[in-house]
Amino acid sequence: MKNFERYFLAANRWLLIVTLAVMAVIIFANVVLRYTTSQSIEWAEEVARHLMIWLTFLGCGPTLRYGGHIAVENLQDALPGQGAIAVRALIALLLTGFFVFCIWFGLDYMDRTRYQTTPATQISFAIIYAALPVGMLLTLIHWLLIMKRYVLRREFASDSHFDATASASL
Amino acid sequence: MSASVILLISACIYLALGVPVAFALGLSTVTALLVSGGFPMLVLLKETFTGIDSFPLMAVPFFILAAELMSGGSLTNVLLRFAGQFVGHRRGGLGYTNVVALTFFSGISGSALADAAGPGSMMIKMMDKAGYDRAYAAALTAATAIVGPIIPPSIIMIIYALADDNVSVGALFVAGLLPGLLIAVAMCIVNWHVSKQRNYKGDGEHPTRAEIWRTTWRALPAILLPVLILGGMRAGWFTPTEASVVAVFYALVCGKYVYGTLQWKAVPDILWRSALLTASVLIIIAMSASFAWVLTIEGVPQAVASWISGMQLSPWLFLIVINIFLLLFGIFIEPLPGVMVLVPILAPVAAKVGIDPTHFAMVVIFNLTLGMITPPVGGLLFVTSNVSRVPLSHLVRELKPFLWAHGVVLLMLTFIPALSTWLPRAMGFK
Repeated sequence: MKNFERYFLAANRWLLIVTLAVMAVIIFANVVLRYTTSQSIEWAEEVARHLMIWLTFLGCGPTLRYGGHIAVENLQDALPGQGAIAVRALIALLLTGFFVFCIWFGLDYMDRTRYQTTPATQISFAIIYAALPVGMLLTLIHWLLIMKRYVLRREFASDSHFDATASASL
Repeated sequence: MSASVILLISACIYLALGVPVAFALGLSTVTALLVSGGFPMLVLLKETFTGIDSFPLMAVPFFILAAELMSGGSLTNVLLRFAGQFVGHRRGGLGYTNVVALTFFSGISGSALADAAGPGSMMIKMMDKAGYDRAYAAALTAATAIVGPIIPPSIIMIIYALADDNVSVGALFVAGLLPGLLIAVAMCIVNWHVSKQRNYKGDGEHPTRAEIWRTTWRALPAILLPVLILGGMRAGWFTPTEASVVAVFYALVCGKYVYGTLQWKAVPDILWRSALLTASVLIIIAMSASFAWVLTIEGVPQAVASWISGMQLSPWLFLIVINIFLLLFGIFIEPLPGVMVLVPILAPVAAKVGIDPTHFAMVVIFNLTLGMITPPVGGLLFVTSNVSRVPLSHLVRELKPFLWAHGVVLLMLTFIPALSTWLPRAMGFK
């Protein structure tokens, strides 16, 4: 199980790293080409936008893992220990339900958009919309891995390179 | 019950329980649709994707990445020395240095928390060593970090411009310059007052002219980044998104070859961190897109708009009401979901009442950002308390004079529209 968690996290991590790097390189190359050869890569913007959709949903799980999704936790702080655990158990249930729901309807949505193709690259929209069910499946797995700690002690995993308190608060 | 009522009530319940904001928005949308029926679930998914399928929005990940690449240890040192040479020798000198360095740093980063956690935490340590109260140093840092989202580049402004068609990212960026400087001045005044009371000494050393030149030369590449971004956008060289990606590669070159602190093997970790920060922002935007869709389809923004315009408020009275509402709202809700949920409703009303959209945007952004340091809850308070290891209660006590100063700035920003609108107009931004 520990091994699975390690490889799973590493795979998710590298997917995100490559996605963001490719986005930056494509858009930068497009700017440079426009000024040097006065030509643009016509698929650059579209591909980068679709990569950003994937980035969002692929990043959802690890962010949850490190407690990076902001929440208002005053009620939990005000409750006695047992009450707070009960509230977090309810949250655990709600989130699990939500992730399963997103996977289910995400697959349905993929199925319906399978024959539509993107304007520039002419690939099926299902490939782009797969980001939701795939991302939420990863999120669900990350969630199940940390859920017990979260419910009992409101603990998340930690990462030396990511300070979760700094996320989403602008 | 209409879907909107269920939506709003269930959102409040989920948020109060402590469900993360992104999922609370998603769950309440699902709840509203399940309970009221009538809306197809697939439209909802479509809206979720539409919310983040946007080229202008891509400036968010790139500005985050640029700031992460740029803000290595050495750059922070350079900026601190650069700021210190002008103000360090005065009484309360390190306090001024902190304010000036953070102000420059916010021209690199787009968020308040990056400022507080990065150079802010270093400054707190330095001030502590030099005999300042640690809690005071932390309060000064938290209060000043507010300039992060006000001075360009600013992530919240990019998102605001997407939520309101009447303002552009360029105009908002430029509009933030004067208010940002005003905040810095206000923080310096508080520092002057407190330093006099407690007799915080300056370091007494005047740097030589040669030293000043050397430090300025070192700091120049970092200081030029916002100039490059704004100038490039104004000159029509690139769109905001392209400006952000240019900033990424500029930061890469600076970090690697000018400051020499960036190592290739650190790049994957920087990308990883930026990707997670990006995801935490974009998932909220995706979820609030379908949330807002339910409100829009039921005509809630229009209803609110006609209700408010039915009250025949003057623009000033309207702004006062908005200020009070936003301050209260901002105590519990972070700026990002605040902008996503409120701006589509409030911005059209403000335009109808006759308030300049850019002016209104600055008022909303400053109000919601202030929410990050107003007790009892606020992201910036927690981060600063964390990095400085000052208990929250001490931090809040020392924060009081700064909050008064911010109040004065807020009033000026509210009642002097020219503070926000003059510079963008003068520079030709629309």
